Amino acid sequence: MWTKPWKTSEGFLIAGGLFVFGIALQIAVGPVRWSLLAAPANYIALLLLLCAIALMYILRKKVYLFEWMMHGGAAVSSIACALGITMVMGLLPQMREGGVPWLSQMLSFWPFVLLWMWMMLIAALATLNHMRHFKWSQIPFLLNHLGVVVAVAAATFGNADMQKLKMRVYYDSPQWIALSEDDKAVEPGIGIELNDFTIDYYEDMSPKRFASEITVNTADGQKVIGTVEVNNPLKVSGWKIYQYGYDKGLGSESPYSIFMLVKDPWLPAVYTGIFMMLAGALCLMLFMAPKPIKEEEEF
Amino acid sequence: MSWGLFIWFAAAAVICWSLGAYFAWKGQGARVYLFTFLGLAVFFAFILGMWISLERPPLRTMGETRLWYSFFLPLAGIIVYSRWRYKWILSFSTVLSLVFIWVNLFKPGIHSKALMPALQSPWFAPHVIVYMFSYALLGAATFMAGYILFFRKDKTAAKELNITDNLVYVGLAFLTIGMLFGALWAKAAWGHYWAWDPKETWAAITWLCYLLYLHYRKTSPGKWTEACLILLVAFVCLQICWWGINYLPSAKGFSIHTYGN
Repeated sequence: MWTKPWKTSEGFLIAGGLFVFGIALQIAVGPVRWSLLAAPANYIALLLLLCAIALMYILRKKVYLFEWMMHGGAAVSSIACALGITMVMGLLPQMREGGVPWLSQMLSFWPFVLLWMWMMLIAALATLNHMRHFKWSQIPFLLNHLGVVVAVAAATFGNADMQKLKMRVYYDSPQWIALSEDDKAVEPGIGIELNDFTIDYYEDMSPKRFASEITVNTADGQKVIGTVEVNNPLKVSGWKIYQYGYDKGLGSESPYSIFMLVKDPWLPAVYTGIFMMLAGALCLMLFMAPKPIKEEEEF
Repeated sequence: MSWGLFIWFAAAAVICWSLGAYFAWKGQGARVYLFTFLGLAVFFAFILGMWISLERPPLRTMGETRLWYSFFLPLAGIIVYSRWRYKWILSFSTVLSLVFIWVNLFKPGIHSKALMPALQSPWFAPHVIVYMFSYALLGAATFMAGYILFFRKDKTAAKELNITDNLVYVGLAFLTIGMLFGALWAKAAWGHYWAWDPKETWAAITWLCYLLYLHYRKTSPGKWTEACLILLVAFVCLQICWWGINYLPSAKGFSIHTYGN
């Protein structure tokens, strides 16, 4: 142990140390408060993190830890640890509050966050290491590793900038006010008028389609008329408007329709990562799979 | 097409696949392909018929996904056969397919026309079909891992490991595509691409398991026992993600991915 070259077991010990450190943080400062990472804090944090990664890469010959992080043993141990703690998350009910202390709010549990960050950091360093001597044959590796790093980083750092509002709109009264996730009144800068809300049913009376015909007024005086239905949001001045709810007791006679308004400025970055991963997945099956061994004998 | 006809189509398909498997043992290449593809065509005709008569893709209930699984197993089998000429692979895929057909005959699930609005999306078919194909490949990889662990334990199994690796690479690729299609769909349906819903959490767990296998095989190519054990655990996670989630206390009443079986 701790004799060079380090292997997987050193990785497990480091991850164990991170876990203990995470517990200490949890006790000292409480659960992770993701809302603190809203702009501009997230841009600054991301910039600092990128600088740190660059520094680790530059210092790789001086600090053995950084060199080791670019290789397989680090990858294996960090994936195994992220996997383990995510399994705990999958086995315990996750809720806003209550349940198992710490573990039922896994997304704000420091050890969970640190172990995932550790895995992503290792993937990022491995990416840099492969970029050093660029060859076309490394494209599949880069797409897969950089893709997942970009997608997860953008989703994480962009999370607090995402706005998810609920707006209840009655017939004949344009609505300009929506409620945020913590039930605060917010003005999204667009107003919605409900022209018609319909539900179509199948023969067995289970719902087939929910749809709201609406007119959206923007702050600069434009009017957009459109239909919002499940799986078909309407896009108006940076907002995506989703069909969210209605008065269930009254069904298609519902006097109002509820919309979800979503704005996610980091979405293009997340999609960049996702499309890199999709391309990477194609490469995985076409170029990365090991060559079949030609047989001498059949069995 | 009514569900009552399933037994006839299934029987015809299984007979074709069994003939294909038989000729694989006899080493008669052309007949292997002829009968296996004939069986696939018959089985797919039933799926297509269901699709038309239900006026929606038959992908909603567990029974309907089992239908696709029964179809993809022999397809994965014939792909493996075409690459490695394993005599037994088609017998295996036929038997496994038969098991799922059997389950469907006794527990068909409800096949109503109703498709709730959340499932009416162009992403629906690609998302589930890609996932089912990946499950079939990863199921075959699990079988190989079990074979290596319990039957070939005293020999070097380089060729078997090579096949297992290939199945996992292709299976993981499809698993990734299925997961990301799901994320793109979720954005259109629910406003967010990833919400750590129990089904999503288990999809991530399953994905990480196979990722672990690939990295472990790269770094420790000699330690095949551990590698095969990872695959067995991975397949358990895959089952939890696919249907186990319906019985898991952590998901009961929490998951929005339950569409009534």
